[in-house]
Amino acid sequence: MKVLIIEDEKELAKSIVEYLSEEKYLCEEAATFTEAMNKIDVFNYDCILLDITLPDGNGLKILEELKKDNKQDGVIIISAKNSLDDKIKGLQIGADDYLTKPFHLSELTARIYSLIRRRQFNNANIIRLDELEIDLLAKSVTVNNESVPLTKKEFDLLIYFIGNKKRVLSKSTLAEHLSGDFADMLDNHDFVYAHVKNLKKKLSDAGCEQYIKTVYGTGYIWNG
Amino acid sequence: MKKNLLQKSLKQLTIFAFIVFALSVPSYFLLVDWIWLKELDENNQLIAARIENEFNEQKINNEKLAESIAFWNEIQPVSKIESAANPLAKDSLYTIRRENSYSKSEAIDRFRGLKTNILINNKNYVLVVETNVEETEETVAYIAMVTLVFFMILVIGFWILNRKLSRKLWQPFQDTLEKLKSFQLNNQKRISFPETDIIEFNELNTTLDKLLQHNIAAYQSQKEFTENASHELQTPLAVLKNKIDLLLQSDDLTERQYHIAEEMNKAIIRSTRINKNLLLLAKIENNQFDSSTLIRLDTLIDQILDGLPTFFKDKNITITTHIQPAVEVTANSGLTEVLINNLVANAIRHTLPGGSIKIALSASGLEVSNSGEQPLNPDLLFKRFSRISADNNGSGLGLSIVQEICRFHNWEVSYNFKNATHIFFVRILTF
Repeated sequence: MKVLIIEDEKELAKSIVEYLSEEKYLCEEAATFTEAMNKIDVFNYDCILLDITLPDGNGLKILEELKKDNKQDGVIIISAKNSLDDKIKGLQIGADDYLTKPFHLSELTARIYSLIRRRQFNNANIIRLDELEIDLLAKSVTVNNESVPLTKKEFDLLIYFIGNKKRVLSKSTLAEHLSGDFADMLDNHDFVYAHVKNLKKKLSDAGCEQYIKTVYGTGYIWNG
Repeated sequence: MKKNLLQKSLKQLTIFAFIVFALSVPSYFLLVDWIWLKELDENNQLIAARIENEFNEQKINNEKLAESIAFWNEIQPVSKIESAANPLAKDSLYTIRRENSYSKSEAIDRFRGLKTNILINNKNYVLVVETNVEETEETVAYIAMVTLVFFMILVIGFWILNRKLSRKLWQPFQDTLEKLKSFQLNNQKRISFPETDIIEFNELNTTLDKLLQHNIAAYQSQKEFTENASHELQTPLAVLKNKIDLLLQSDDLTERQYHIAEEMNKAIIRSTRINKNLLLLAKIENNQFDSSTLIRLDTLIDQILDGLPTFFKDKNITITTHIQPAVEVTANSGLTEVLINNLVANAIRHTLPGGSIKIALSASGLEVSNSGEQPLNPDLLFKRFSRISADNNGSGLGLSIVQEICRFHNWEVSYNFKNATHIFFVRILTF
């Protein structure tokens, strides 16, 4: 899987590369508009992480070029601009996702994972992990061909874990992911524990191996 | 009681005019009385001279003269001629008040008298002449009446002039006042004051203009600073956040180190939120949003509530909704979503386990209420970073954002505490 990171902030790009490299993603970096355009002209990527504010141009221009050339690269905008209008504009031009800085690397990874899955398996997007089968389109889960009824949040949580296999996910990171727009107002992170507990119980009740492990007392990891 | 400026001066002027007029009454009286008496004295002198002259011209003998004088005394009750052996050393003038002997009424009249020597047939006589004078009270009354009439004319004149003046003279001032009333620091519009030919008002306008411009500039730079600062903080915060993510993945991390990293993670998440909200506030203040989308509020609320149930379950909160269908507003959809989110999340956060929340939407507005114990201070409620509750984890900006979004849309948000319920109401004014 090839990922192009168009980001002018060196440290940020470095962190992303470091985190993604462990996922067997092949990362390339572009720090400027020109550099990015040169790479896009020559190569195809599975996913492009696009910063809108670049020193020598607007990232949205790159997106427009991609769409004009009918390129199939998936694009996730990563922007420090939290402007709602920018978000809508980006998605209208054809970005697949929009992530506001600062974000957790696990969040980014989960989004890249979902995006690539979506693009590769358009019609039957099914993840198979031994006895576990996840249908991303139907949002259904089966264990040994038996369906496991998960709530929306539990399903969301499961995908997050699958997208961050073998990564330590801390309670506060999960809380931020799960609460979304309400993150600002929720101060108690105990609901994370409840959600994870329910998910674990439903999966193991269906006969699935216990992939989710607790680490360091409050963190979680998907070991499978 | 509050009065306008000219009314205030009118009162002073009226009092002063009253004093002047009041003092003028005795002055006029004294003057008139003095003229009266002077004239009457002169008149009495003339009468005395005429009597003396006329008796002498009769050229009658002494016997006849005594008879004539007796008869004259009879028909002239107010005058008297008496023979005197020695002439008076000096004429005497006097004023006397007495009953008029020939008048039927009991009225007391005032008389001015002259007692003087006359010579008839070379014999000495003393003549007394009295003339009726206008009474003091009557004079005073007439003068006072005339004065009062003039006083009234003056006051009415003042009053009419005053009204005309206050309209005309103060017009530029009223204009300036109107302009000032319409001025709002956060809507960026400069106001220009109308030209006037009155030096004082012109000076006032120039000074106000300077003051306002200075304020606008200061406010502008403050807003820009907030936006720039928040924006510039995004990148270092992002770097920090990602480095902590990486740190959490280290293989050789001890549990102690993990917990330190997780605490850092929490702090950075919170700073990120505060920063994000400050940036949002600055952007709303700078009117960087478009507000022309037609939104179905009922559908939007349904969507938001859809994302909620798990949080309600956690706290065992009952939620009731009264949503009127097909309520539409023209607004910014993103901001409206933030507004409802913040109100609802705020209610959930501050409702004790087992409490209840009510969400009601009607054509006039949105009401979000939750059970509570103590009324909150409405002055602090919408203020940035003013924490009313004990918990410290919120960004402290949620309700400020609600208020700012309302201001942006020309809506009104109010808080009330009734029947152990906190009630937040957003009055939607533009439909």
